Amino acid sequence: MKIKNQGYNICFAVIILVLAAMPLLLSAGVITSSSFILFLGKCIAFSIVAIGLDLIWGYTGILSLGHGLYFALGGYAMAMYLKLQATNGKVTSFMQTGGFTDLPLIWKPFLCTPLAFALIMLIPVVVSGLVGYFIFKNRVKGVYFSIISQALTWAAYSLFTGLQSYTGGNVGITEMSSVLGSIKGSAHQTNMFIMFYSSLVILVVVYAVSYGLVHTKFGRLLIAIRDGENRTYFSGYKVSTYKNFIYILSAVFAAIAGEIFVNFNGSITPTQMTISYSITMVIWVAVGGRNCLVGGVIGAFLINLCDYNFSSGAMVEIWQYILGAIFVVTILFFKGGLVGIIRDQLPMAIRKVTGKEAG
Amino acid sequence: MTGENILEIKDISVDFDGYCALLHVNVNVKRNTIHFFIGPNGAGKTTLLDIICAKTKSTGGVCMYYPKDGREIKLTGMKEYKIVKEGIGRKFQVPSMFVNLSIMENMMLSLKGHKGVLSSIFYRMSKEEEESINNVLETVGLIDKKDENAGSLAHGQKQWLEIGMQLVQKPEIIMLDEPVAGMGKPETFKTGEILKKIKESCTIIVVEHDMDFVKQIADRVTVLHEGKVLMEGDYESVLADKTVQAVYLGRGGEKNA
Repeated sequence: MKIKNQGYNICFAVIILVLAAMPLLLSAGVITSSSFILFLGKCIAFSIVAIGLDLIWGYTGILSLGHGLYFALGGYAMAMYLKLQATNGKVTSFMQTGGFTDLPLIWKPFLCTPLAFALIMLIPVVVSGLVGYFIFKNRVKGVYFSIISQALTWAAYSLFTGLQSYTGGNVGITEMSSVLGSIKGSAHQTNMFIMFYSSLVILVVVYAVSYGLVHTKFGRLLIAIRDGENRTYFSGYKVSTYKNFIYILSAVFAAIAGEIFVNFNGSITPTQMTISYSITMVIWVAVGGRNCLVGGVIGAFLINLCDYNFSSGAMVEIWQYILGAIFVVTILFFKGGLVGIIRDQLPMAIRKVTGKEAG
Repeated sequence: MTGENILEIKDISVDFDGYCALLHVNVNVKRNTIHFFIGPNGAGKTTLLDIICAKTKSTGGVCMYYPKDGREIKLTGMKEYKIVKEGIGRKFQVPSMFVNLSIMENMMLSLKGHKGVLSSIFYRMSKEEEESINNVLETVGLIDKKDENAGSLAHGQKQWLEIGMQLVQKPEIIMLDEPVAGMGKPETFKTGEILKKIKESCTIIVVEHDMDFVKQIADRVTVLHEGKVLMEGDYESVLADKTVQAVYLGRGGEKNA
């Protein structure tokens, strides 16, 4: 068991080292496209969501199909701040179209940098805390929880597209640079590298915190809740508080990811808040492997790399179908995802083959 | 001064949408005894345990609990995890433990205290706690397997582990729902001996069908039938009762006796 856990950590360390080498490869001219680094930056954000989802789904057994909501909440909050930075606090074009001559009230706090950053962190905590409190207090679980999480995301999506003069509607908030200023083009390469490495550090911190957490008594309890919620209540634990705590934590991770995403992407749209986007996040974790943190990271990178390469050219039409098929096959035959295949199924297959040869 | 009753079930009724699972049940359970509830299927035995530990809500009546410290606690209306904290443990009919955790981890989660989110994050097991877990594992005979996954245990061992999980909480009452179901004779006997040892420090309430097991360890037996108390007494007097024989023991009971 101990060696296996180290295996996960080694695997994670390798991923981090490879990522850390990428900007150097760009400088050395091995990679020619700087937009690839921006893309990897977004993948770092996706892995952070995946770690959060693994905590709540893989460990605690709560399948949330609505984490896009928190990803987008973090993203929008960050975008509101960045947009005001870009326009020097003036009203944006979508506000003008909506008839505003002055900034709407909910935008005003984002003028002040410390307040903006406090809100960026606080909004997801408050929203997920409230949602979690009512859902878990009433002991909603299983598929009912999944449905509610979807419905909430859908409601938020409708709200954000509906309030066009506040949120930019379907277009979202666009044309922003990062917190460090512009990161696009060769002139701003240093900024891009700083942004990239800071995000990498955040990913390592998120992984380390999660890893530490699942190896405490608290982590054992998450598994206990997944395997026998009733037994956990009758062992004297207030399960709803635990569930709420892990729900908030994973929502915060998703929000942090959204914030990083906006910095690399330069825009946020309601697409990030859709149900299908939320389910895609779950697919990363499922395909990479549940219940081992690093699985989600692997899944997020692999699927997005495929997406990056296939979303143009010949594969563009069928890629979505392939993705769906991969998900279905994983759920049906490879519950442990890629990590599970390498950890369980591959050694078993080897044993079978060698066993037969010996026999 | 604490009285001799640890638990008083007063006039409890349960109505499942018109079906009366329990009807005006009155039972007193004495301290440091092994108290059996027997009766044919559907008599309301498991429902009665569900009422005591708040898994099911009663439609009438109250449950009073008198722990060692002399307090009077009304169990009716309390949340289940609070009842556990007050010292009433419950083992379910189907062995339920955390199959993906080791036996040691199963026991660790059952320890008293550190049940809050923050205290569970910063929790480190103390020497005393480890010792008390080892003692309990010794009692239930699972000390050699403490690092194995609970899922890999045999059926009987699972039952013992779950009894152990109750014991390590240092409860005042433990309730066991069919603890020897599916066990062979030697295992059943061993379970009985384990329970006799436990009785010195707490009260045990058992729901069971196996009359040999009842005979081996029962101090007091309450016979339930169709949601009502039919008769209460020690093993011999219950066995000798004509009505009890008719409704319950008559079907194969003779052979057991």
